[in-house]
Amino acid sequence: MKEQKSIKLIRCGSSSGMGSGGADETVWECVIPYVQDPRDRDAVSLVCKRWYQIDALTRKHVTIALCYTATPERLSRRFPHLESLKLKGKPRAAMFNLIPEDWGGYVTSWVEEIDKSFCRMKALHFRRMIVIDADLEMLAKSPAGKVLEVLKLDKCSGFSTDGLLIIGRLCRNLKTLFMEESTIVEKDGEWLHELALNNTVLENVNFYMTDLTKVRSTDLELMAKNCPSLTSVKISDCDISDLIGFFKAANALEEFGGGSFNEPPGQIGEGVFNEQLGRYSAVSFPPRLCCLGLTYLGKAEMPLIFPIAARLKKLDLLYALLDTAGHCDLLQRCLNLEILETRNVIGDRGLEVLAQFCKKMKRLRIERGADEQEMEDVEGIVSQRGLIALAQGCLDLEYLAVYVSDITNEALECIGRYSKNMCDFRLVLLDREETITDLPLDNGVRSLLIGCEKLRRFALYLRPGGLTDLGLSYIGRYSPKVRWMLLGYVGESDDGLLVFSKGCPSLQKLEMRGCCFSERALAMAAMQLTSLRYLWVQGYRSVNRLDLLKMVRPNWNIELIPARRVYVQDANEQVIFDHPAHILAYYSLVGQRTDFPTTVMPLDPNALLN
Amino acid sequence: MSRSAIELDFFGMEKELSPPPKLPTFARRRSFRDIQGVISKINPEVLKTVIANGSSGLNKSVTVPCTPKEDHTIFPPLPVHGSNLRQSCEPKRSAETAPMTIFYNGMVAVFDVSPHKAKDILLHAEEEAQKPAESSDSKGTGSSSDQKNILGTLNGDFPIARRKSLQRFLEKRKERSNMWEPYGRTNKR
Repeated sequence: MKEQKSIKLIRCGSSSGMGSGGADETVWECVIPYVQDPRDRDAVSLVCKRWYQIDALTRKHVTIALCYTATPERLSRRFPHLESLKLKGKPRAAMFNLIPEDWGGYVTSWVEEIDKSFCRMKALHFRRMIVIDADLEMLAKSPAGKVLEVLKLDKCSGFSTDGLLIIGRLCRNLKTLFMEESTIVEKDGEWLHELALNNTVLENVNFYMTDLTKVRSTDLELMAKNCPSLTSVKISDCDISDLIGFFKAANALEEFGGGSFNEPPGQIGEGVFNEQLGRYSAVSFPPRLCCLGLTYLGKAEMPLIFPIAARLKKLDLLYALLDTAGHCDLLQRCLNLEILETRNVIGDRGLEVLAQFCKKMKRLRIERGADEQEMEDVEGIVSQRGLIALAQGCLDLEYLAVYVSDITNEALECIGRYSKNMCDFRLVLLDREETITDLPLDNGVRSLLIGCEKLRRFALYLRPGGLTDLGLSYIGRYSPKVRWMLLGYVGESDDGLLVFSKGCPSLQKLEMRGCCFSERALAMAAMQLTSLRYLWVQGYRSVNRLDLLKMVRPNWNIELIPARRVYVQDANEQVIFDHPAHILAYYSLVGQRTDFPTTVMPLDPNALLN
Repeated sequence: MSRSAIELDFFGMEKELSPPPKLPTFARRRSFRDIQGVISKINPEVLKTVIANGSSGLNKSVTVPCTPKEDHTIFPPLPVHGSNLRQSCEPKRSAETAPMTIFYNGMVAVFDVSPHKAKDILLHAEEEAQKPAESSDSKGTGSSSDQKNILGTLNGDFPIARRKSLQRFLEKRKERSNMWEPYGRTNKR
């Protein structure tokens, strides 16, 4: 639709001729700023020089999917009036401890450019990057620091609470401070105090899944009192009973995550349970709260949620301590639930409850629980049974990510048949069970891809025998709109990959793990995939390193992380992890980067050949 | 910046890693299977040749078995995979190596190894010996599934990686559980 609009504009432009050029210019200057979608903007900028200029001057937001594809200077030259920037650094695999910590993705040069050239920068989102205190200080003291409204340090590392202190003190227009899953060196809890004191416009504060322990609940309460627009707060561990004052003050709160329940499990017996709840029973949730996640929530504390269960739109049980029965009990009350995140302890039974009661489900993420039997419910496995029920019951599903212990073609066919709104589908087949009911999954995968017409993102992580070369060719043939894929242990031979790579016309980013493809096949696939701009591979069948040269071409950076052994000091012992080699390749406008750590090497064709 | 040719050094032998202060435990499931997985792919004849080459410069010999107990002759993995493959390309003459004689499955082999490598080998052998007594962290029951694990995929199985955030949560939960139920589980939490 939007493409048609763009084409119409072009036609008007060419037909009106040179005579009324001035009027046309004004029209485009007025109209183009309303074009928001980055793909449309891309099209606009290619029409003619004048449109390129208008786009360049009016572009408000840019996402750079990998920070090494461009330089800060190029960005400021092209888009001088940028107000919002999102940068991503480390490969996604870093979230799974697979990438060396010092791999790269430093924000320093970008912050320097922001300080120099981007005085209107209102929103910054750094994802999987290295941020140091000096960067935060420079940002806070830059012209942008005064106008900054959104700062997201998303899964970042390298900074301490000292850097946050300066941000809290100087960035008084900050509405969003997001640091979820970042690794932060904690000196003290002063940063939150500073933020609470100096800011009255905060809406979103998130330090969920960070290990900050010195944060004071009194500062949270102060923040709630000073910021009437506070709508979303997600924190690190802090006993829920210490948050009673905070909840009372945060009247506008819609989302809360974190906290923790720290009462040790009592003896069986009603009296003690009431007492236990007694400590928490004074907790009263704000009236508009509809998104909730409480760490270590157990069966005993569940009744706290019951009064608001019916209005919950989003529920996070990833870090709760519920068993399958507990999930069923809670979920059957959540009639308005749209987003659920939990572990596979939800079980097939829990999915059946979702299918029956939670008809508005849009996004469901089921993570992998503990491997040890005693730590999770015996019932806590997800299989085709749960998936089939889910597909049939929750027709609005847009996002499904699930770790399954068993799977069948029928389950995937079901999803293809019912989940017509599915945009993002991810399936990982756990390796606990030796025998899987129904492999290979060729036909199921085909049905799913054909049926889910809106699919943009797709992940399939199986095991040897999980998908044949034919099945892999189906993925190539039937995924016209998919832009990102993660494939694990799929296919049987190089042929499979080569046929696959003749398809996937929209595939921009491909991640592969544990595959049986040789360097030759990987290189040829990279050359054949027409939209590919980013490739990550770990675990492949190394036959001849030199074959990687087949994908050498201008503007295509190739990096290798050679196989390495990592020693990790666990509590009482040292554990050794052997990491297989990685290949990372991506388009870049600016050649090889110059900040390689010792663990990462650029592919140097000359060196390989000699 | 010019760099030397890339060597895929699977065990990171070339790296200057400070040796661990005490005997490390391997992430068993992975490294053991990886090692066995790789070795099982190598043609036994090739294996013998490589060992013979490796030891040739060092005054030692390999005796051929007269009555092999199993069909496939598999030498102990580590000396072949690690040090000897390297030795066959660049013979090392380290003053610190000492002869290690290994009797295995009706065969005898002698290698010159450094104390560090000897420790590795002993550790692996120890692990293997302990394996049946431990609670199984492999999927199935009995040796047939072990065999399956061992023969893994071509590239050597590596386990499904866990998300950092989940990993931390599961560790913290375990600590809490140990803290409050030091004598084992009374009620599930």
